[in-house]
Amino acid sequence: MPSDLTSLVHWMLFLPLGAAAFSALFLRRAGRTAAWLATATAFTIAGLALKVLWAGGNVSWHIELAKLGGVSLGFGYLIDPQASLMLFVVSFVAAWIHLFSVGYMQDDPARGRYFAGLSIFMFAILGIVVADNLLMTFIFWELVGFSSYLLIAHYFDKDFAAAASKKAFIANRIGDLGFILGIALCLSLYGTLDFVALQQHALAAKTIPVALGALLMCGFLGKSAQFPLHVWLTDAMAGPTPVSALIHAATMVAAGVYFMARVSFLLAPEVLQFIAVSGAGMAALAGFCALAQTDIKKSLAYSTLAHLGIMGCAIGLGRPDLALLHMTMHAFFKATLFLGAGSVIHGCHHQQDMLKMGGLLKKMPLTSAAFIAATLSNCAVPFLAGWYSKEAIIEAAFHGGHFAIFAFLALAALATCLYSGRMIRLVFLGEANSEEAAKAHESPWTMTLPLVILGLIFSVLGGLFAYALLPAAALRPITKALHEVAFHLTAPATIVGLLSLLLGLGGALKFYGTMRGADALQVLAPRTYHLLEHRWMDGVYRWYIDQVQRRVSEFIAFLDLLLINGVAVRWLGAGVPAVLGYLTGRTFHRGQTRAYALWVVVGTLLMAWFLLAR
Amino acid sequence: MEHTSLAHHLILAGLLFALGLTGVLVRRNLLVVYMCLELMLAAATLALVAFSRFNHTMDGAVLVFFVITVAAAEVAVGLALIVALYRKRGTVQSDALTTLRD
Repeated sequence: MPSDLTSLVHWMLFLPLGAAAFSALFLRRAGRTAAWLATATAFTIAGLALKVLWAGGNVSWHIELAKLGGVSLGFGYLIDPQASLMLFVVSFVAAWIHLFSVGYMQDDPARGRYFAGLSIFMFAILGIVVADNLLMTFIFWELVGFSSYLLIAHYFDKDFAAAASKKAFIANRIGDLGFILGIALCLSLYGTLDFVALQQHALAAKTIPVALGALLMCGFLGKSAQFPLHVWLTDAMAGPTPVSALIHAATMVAAGVYFMARVSFLLAPEVLQFIAVSGAGMAALAGFCALAQTDIKKSLAYSTLAHLGIMGCAIGLGRPDLALLHMTMHAFFKATLFLGAGSVIHGCHHQQDMLKMGGLLKKMPLTSAAFIAATLSNCAVPFLAGWYSKEAIIEAAFHGGHFAIFAFLALAALATCLYSGRMIRLVFLGEANSEEAAKAHESPWTMTLPLVILGLIFSVLGGLFAYALLPAAALRPITKALHEVAFHLTAPATIVGLLSLLLGLGGALKFYGTMRGADALQVLAPRTYHLLEHRWMDGVYRWYIDQVQRRVSEFIAFLDLLLINGVAVRWLGAGVPAVLGYLTGRTFHRGQTRAYALWVVVGTLLMAWFLLAR
Repeated sequence: MEHTSLAHHLILAGLLFALGLTGVLVRRNLLVVYMCLELMLAAATLALVAFSRFNHTMDGAVLVFFVITVAAAEVAVGLALIVALYRKRGTVQSDALTTLRD
């Protein structure tokens, strides 16, 4: 029943577009209706995705939109087990985030716009997942950029939100420039943009040009917030918290990883090497940076960066299956963490400073339980969802013989446990450190239900579900990975994992318990703390823009003034018509209607002679 | 009918056209110029009808309908313009209308 599945995919893709259009056109003032419309749409999509996954997940469908020369530009679906798994993860996590948003955004006056934004985002991300050619991927890729801009700038009257959305947009554009150049290069090399055809070309060719992989990688660097374009992700926390959960944890940043997995056959070894090293390096750096953030969302954002680094590293190690597995598990627990943070912020009356929280375990039991479960999954406690993938990646790094990468990943694992312990200690244990935290209350069911489902069930049992519930075909990309993970006490990855759990989690819980209302590290080692705050990367960019880019553009502006404005416009553009006008004014333009008519006749005759004489 | 051919019709149309064109170029009264313009249009429609007749297709005849329709609309606008011009300037001599040059 392939045709049947194709129509399911049509519905999946165009339902959210319809919902977005309807909300944007008619429900701008009916926030409640828009909210439930978007949520119902999201759950329908999740159901359809489950059906596609269950049916074995193979869909191939294509229509040609235009043919330019020998190049066919089309719109089509290519769904393999990997894609159907991704479809399910994206739509499932997104559905619960929609439900969470219903509660979280209930006092927001611009709910209609917000939910229309969520729906258009769903449309864009699902388009990337099902796309069967590079051009379609690129179009939906840009749509994702646009919709994330829309959502980050939800509080557009606040300066920091407007700036953050611009930053995200610009950083993504820089990456996308490389991406579109890569597409052009791909077209000139192979004459096709179709994934299946490209794969055949790549398999037939002995070597793949490095430039091709490097250019396509640029798109991934932007979208998946890899070094050095990672700076937008942490600022993007300016949007509403569910947006952070949806975009910056579960789906948008995963799009880059997914895309790299999809075109992994186009990546030359040098490119893979770069991705692996920079990914692992960023994982370690971002992990420690998460220690020096007081804003709970920002700390989680650095955690996301660390996990994206780990996924990038897996791709670089030539194991896109592991990257996708980690992406899946990460989507579950990181969505929970962000939603949990949202619930905490909502409960604490919009207090985001972790140092001002504390003792929430008793006041918000469900939120706390889900958050802590997801945190443990994040730390890769054995047999929780996050453990399966992270352990496998560290193991792969060790056996791949990349010692530096392995060391970075081990550091990242330690850092993960450290910031997780800090977060639990500061937010949930101890005593309330502010009036808001003291008056905290549990959130409504629309917010706690997603937390329970994603946090207590999927973050904990994700690995088991993958074994027990998925059909064999859909599981293929990850069973291979799952079988590699065995709980050997002597395996290096297990040793690293257990040691960092013990040292990191235990140490952090104890260390951050020593001071109240202050960050122990900041007090004891202010310089290290300041370095880890990670403000210097923005400084680097500022220096580059001020000192290098501005001078270059000033020089170009000077050329513009001289050549285009001066020579071309002032002299040629204005001078030539002035002279001609003076001359013709004396001869042709005498203001006599009959003379004009004569010239029309002469012109017509000349034209006729010119056309007929040849 | 046997004595006329396509060439006869086209020569007649050409003469009419030349007559109209000459009128447009030499006459000064805009109203007359306007009539000459219509004469040129009539010449063109005559040629079209002739083509239609001798090629045994309806294309030319159909086109003539459109030409006549457009010409009618054009007359409505053109005559109104000339009347408005006369009211404003008190003349319709084309040589007297040189505002744009001055």
